[in-house]
Parts: sequence; structure tokens; C-alpha cells
Amino acid sequence: MFWIQLVNGLMEGMTLFLIASGLTLIFGVTRIINFAHGSLYMLGAFMTYELVPLIAPGTLGGFFAAVLIAGLAVSVLGVVFEMLALRRIYGADGLMQLIVTVALVLILRDAVRMIWGPNSLSVPMPDPLMGALQIGQSYFPLFPIAVFAAGLVVVGAMIWTIYFTRAGILLRAGTDDRGMVALCGVNEKLIFTAVFAAGAFLAGLAGGLAAPYGEVNHLLDTTVIVSAFIVCVIGGLGNLYGALAGALVVGITKAIGVMYFPRLSMVLIFLIMALVLIARSMGRQGGSAR
Amino acid sequence: MLETKLRRTAALMTATWALAVGGQSFAQEGPVKVGFAADLTGACAALAEDGLNGAKLAAAEINAAGGILGRPVELIVRDTMTKPDEGAKVARALITDEKIDVLTGVCSSAVMLAESAVSGELKVPFYAAIGSTQRANIELYQPYFWQVQANATMEAYAAAEYVAKKPEWKNISALGSDYEWGHTSVAAFTERLKTLRPDIEFAEPIYAKVGETAMAPYITATLAQSPDAVFAPLFGPSLGAVLKQGPGFGFFQRTNLVTLMTVDTLQSQGAAMPKDNVYGISRAPFFALEQTPAVTGFVDAYRTEFKEYPTDWAISAYDGLKFYAAAADKAGSVDPEAIMTAVGEVTYDGLREAGLKVRALDGQMNAPVYVGKATKVEGYDFPILTEVEKFEGAPLMPSEDFILEARKAAK
Repeated sequence: MFWIQLVNGLMEGMTLFLIASGLTLIFGVTRIINFAHGSLYMLGAFMTYELVPLIAPGTLGGFFAAVLIAGLAVSVLGVVFEMLALRRIYGADGLMQLIVTVALVLILRDAVRMIWGPNSLSVPMPDPLMGALQIGQSYFPLFPIAVFAAGLVVVGAMIWTIYFTRAGILLRAGTDDRGMVALCGVNEKLIFTAVFAAGAFLAGLAGGLAAPYGEVNHLLDTTVIVSAFIVCVIGGLGNLYGALAGALVVGITKAIGVMYFPRLSMVLIFLIMALVLIARSMGRQGGSAR
Repeated sequence: MLETKLRRTAALMTATWALAVGGQSFAQEGPVKVGFAADLTGACAALAEDGLNGAKLAAAEINAAGGILGRPVELIVRDTMTKPDEGAKVARALITDEKIDVLTGVCSSAVMLAESAVSGELKVPFYAAIGSTQRANIELYQPYFWQVQANATMEAYAAAEYVAKKPEWKNISALGSDYEWGHTSVAAFTERLKTLRPDIEFAEPIYAKVGETAMAPYITATLAQSPDAVFAPLFGPSLGAVLKQGPGFGFFQRTNLVTLMTVDTLQSQGAAMPKDNVYGISRAPFFALEQTPAVTGFVDAYRTEFKEYPTDWAISAYDGLKFYAAAADKAGSVDPEAIMTAVGEVTYDGLREAGLKVRALDGQMNAPVYVGKATKVEGYDFPILTEVEKFEGAPLMPSEDFILEARKAAK
């Protein structure tokens, strides 16, 4: 059972990473804590719900195409939001960020409720991923394995973009010192918009990928944002590798915790979070600190 | 804004229905005001909206038939946002500003207890038709309260009675939500099943945090206990997650799931419902009720009006308002004291069954509980329950001695 729980933990960790990566990416460059990240995730799930029956229903390709389009659609919405609202508050204090992004949370939640209603919806799983891989007496579910694989692809694509493309160089430069980047004649606005688009895409993608593995409803936003913040706090807000490590730690701790300390598995996660915060305040600066 | 709009819609609907169906004229005394303080936004939103729809139809029908004691029924709808403090505030405002005659509409247990406290304090009758915590009947009982559906303990007892009839099930696990409802349900289920089937072995119960959607670790831990069946007081996203994530672990080949399965859950699962081994506890599944003209008439009217099948919540909210009307008729008044005396004496023939009564000691209605097997059948685009067994409410109700002792212990 230990191994199955470990695998369960890795799977959950990867989903958490996909959610948290966008949040941490946006913060790293723009210094905006996007409370609406969970709402973008939720939109990705609802878009996937709409798209899955339209594109080769039941097939693997159809599902991933639907998720990809959903992610892109959410990304477009993210760009609109960034250009209309966020762009005006980059210099403002934290409270203003909170007001603007929480306003988006409320608007999106009400919009989703008006369009899709308050009832939970179900996104069908692609047929080839319905079953389980049976090894001896142990069952390993196929769907989260596929999501894990998709997550690895995303991680690979991110690393490649960050280290081997011009966009990645600008991104790293922007994270280090955006004033310097602007001085070098690079359009800072464009970087921010692009980063927000990428973050929103990741949120939509995560929402779409996770949709068939649970219910889709208008309350997903808050459920998700809390886990994303826990991951970011453990990993260091703004630190992509930290987010990956944080996500895996949270996923695995929870899964193993359920086995050995069933009443304490959630406490364990917060305990880790507290320890990380204490350790960080005792001198070593986290990845997010400037 | 939302409040006013809802209120206006409700009043308008009630009025148009009354005109269309009966064209009755009412006495000059003014309407009987039903304060509908419902969890219309937040975690309970979907259930509360169905409840409101059921109550709207009941109000329209009552008005078409001449109202309550010749006075029309008016629903005054308010949103509690599924928050106890907001629920108490809204209930208080309805009572003091709107001068309502009766309070209802609530879904969440916590909001229900908050509203019940206000009802007791201001001495205005309050009934619950969706929320079902037994604490409102026992420890926190107040004499202006009643509830018109089986409470959580009764549902757990019904599940135990059903499981007891499966001789091949010998090892039982429990996987519940980690809050009061999950824990009391598991305790009640275990207690009743132990007396019915001393041969059954019970594994250590497993609890998942409320609203948990990553259920894989819990599923794995439960399956490691090699149970023949799993009693699972879970709801909403957690239950949906078990149904979707379970097949990946061979859950529904390796064991059976006995859980809460109301019509809305059956609908939201749709095609994703596992083919076999899911057993559902339900309060008012429209397809399994005795198909009397009242039931078929209600289902048709509901579908025409709201373009969907009525859920359990809609049916018990409908029965709830009609029961109140029956009590008022018997009392000959809507005076709170007279109503409360009548509530304990009147017998009402509802959609769920004939002969529904409320026990005066704890305000609990002898409402039945249904348990059946989730199955896909022709004619519905969602799975329904088949092989449904109806458990009468009275034998599931905790004994009067038990209640008195529990109250004494709580003090």
C-alpha cells in the first residue's frame, strides 16, 4: 500500500504544481498575487466541459485538444483582464491588488453560476484512460498517470522556454530586475502581459486536465486557490522549482499521512508550512525575496 | 438586489399561478408570510434553489385552492450565503421587519441551528426541509422547531437496515466527511448494524476533510481494509470524486459503496456513474415514490415550470409548506402557539407518503428513507435507483427515552 500511496501523492502533487506554477510565475515577474488564479482554473474546467463533447468525444486526442483550447481561451481572458485592470495597478500597494483580483473572483463566480447553474457537472473521462493498471494485487489508475505525464511535458516545456528562448531570457531578467530590463529598451508591458497570459494558460490547462477526475462547479475557485497558496508558501512564491518541490511535498505528505496518521494528515502539511516559514525567517531568504 | 429580485419573482410566480389555476379572491386580512431564509449562494446553493422551487409550487397550489384560512401565501425570499451569522441576521430581519408567520428554507446544518435559535428566541415557528442535523431535535431543540425529512441519524439507521439484509457482506468499512454529520452518521450506522448483525466486522473508520476532492489516498486506505462494503457519509465534491476516482483503483469491482445518493447527485454523475455496486440513500426520489396522481401531477408541473426533474430537496420543501398549511387549517389560526400545538397533532398526506406526522417531543417527522441501487435505465438520461426499499420513518426515529437522556447528558 505504501507504493500506491506514494504514487497517489505524486499524482496529486503534479496537479497541484500545474495550479501553483501559474500563480508563482505571475508573482515572480509582476509581483501581483493573483487571487483570481483559482477562478481561471475553474473557467478552464467549465470550458473543457463544453469542448469535450465537441472534439472527437471519448478519444485521448480529443480530450487533450479540448484541454489545450480551454487553456488558450482562459489565457485570452487573462490577457483582457491584465490589459484592462492589472496594468493600472502594478505600482499600487498590496491592498489594491487584493481588491482588483478578488473582484475578478466574484465576477467570474457569478458569471459561471449564471451560465452553468449551481449544480455540479461531470466531464467524461477519455475512454482509454478509464481503467486501471493492475500489477499483482495493486491497482494504479490510468487517468492520473496520464495527467502526471502531461504535467511532466509542461515542466519540460517550461524549463526549455526559460533557459533556451529569448522570451525565457527576458522573463528571467524581468524577475531579477525589471527596471533594468526597461532601461535596455525592452517593452516591459509586453513582458507582463505575456507572463500573465502564460500563467492564465497554466491555470486553465490545470482546470481542464483535472476536470474529469472530480466534479465541476462554481465553488472550485476557492478550493483550489488555498492549495495553490500552501504550495507557493512552502516552495517560495515566485520560485518555479520551489513550487514543484512544494507541490510534491504536499501531495506525498497527504497521501502517506492518510495511511499512518489518518487524523493528522492535513495538520502535517500546515506543520511543514510553518517550519518552512520559521526556517526562512531565521536568515535564509526564500526564492521570492528580492 | 438579488434578494429583491428573487422576492419579486417568487411573489409574481405565486400570483400568476394562483390566477391561472384558480382565480380565487382572498379575504382582506393580508397574506400569510413565509420567510424563506435560504442558502441561495455558497456551498448549499444548488440544494436551496431546488427547495425554493418546490416551495413556490406548493404556495401556488395552496393559493389556487383558496390559500391558508382564506389568506394567500406569500414567500419572502432571502439569501443567507450559507453562513450561520448571516442566516441568524436574515431570520431576525424577516421576523421583526417583515412580520413573517413561519420561517423555513435552510439547507446547511450550521445555518439551520443558527436560525432555529432565533426562532426559539423570538417565538416564531421554524421548520427545516433540507438541513437535517439531529442536534436540532435533541440537544438544541426549541419548542418552535420541526423538521419534515428524516434526520441524519435516521438515514444512517436506514443504511444499516439495508446492509444487514446482505448476508454476503461481512466486513464493513466507513469513509466519512470529517465533521459532525460524518461522525454521527458513522456512529449511528455502526450502532444499529451491530445489533442487527453481530457477525459483521467493522474496520477503523476513515475520515476525509470536508470538501476534499483528491480522494485517491482515502480510497487506497479504505480498500486496504478489504471491506465487502463501504458506508460513506460523504456529499458533493468528495462523493463525486470517489465515484470518478474509484474505478481507477478497481473500487467498484472490489467492494460496494453505500452512500447518500439524492436525485441531484444521480444527475450530476450522469454517464460517469460506475455500472455496479453503488447503493444510494435517498429522501424523496420522485421515480421511486408511489405514483399517485398527486406525485405525477407535481412532477409534471415541476418539469413544465423549471425544465428539470424535481430533486429530493424540491419534494421535501413542497411537503414542508403543505404540511404547514395543513397545521394552520387544523389550528384555525397562524398564531405561533396554536400552530405548534397543531403541528404535533395533524396528519398530512404528502408526496412521499400518506400519514406524515411530527412527534411533539422533538419536532421530528416520521419521514421515510429510501435505499436502492444506482442503475442506468431506459427513459432517463441519468442513472436512477432501482430495487428501492422504503424504510418507514417511525421505526428509524430514536426512542423518546434516548432523546430525553441525550438532552440530560448535554446539559
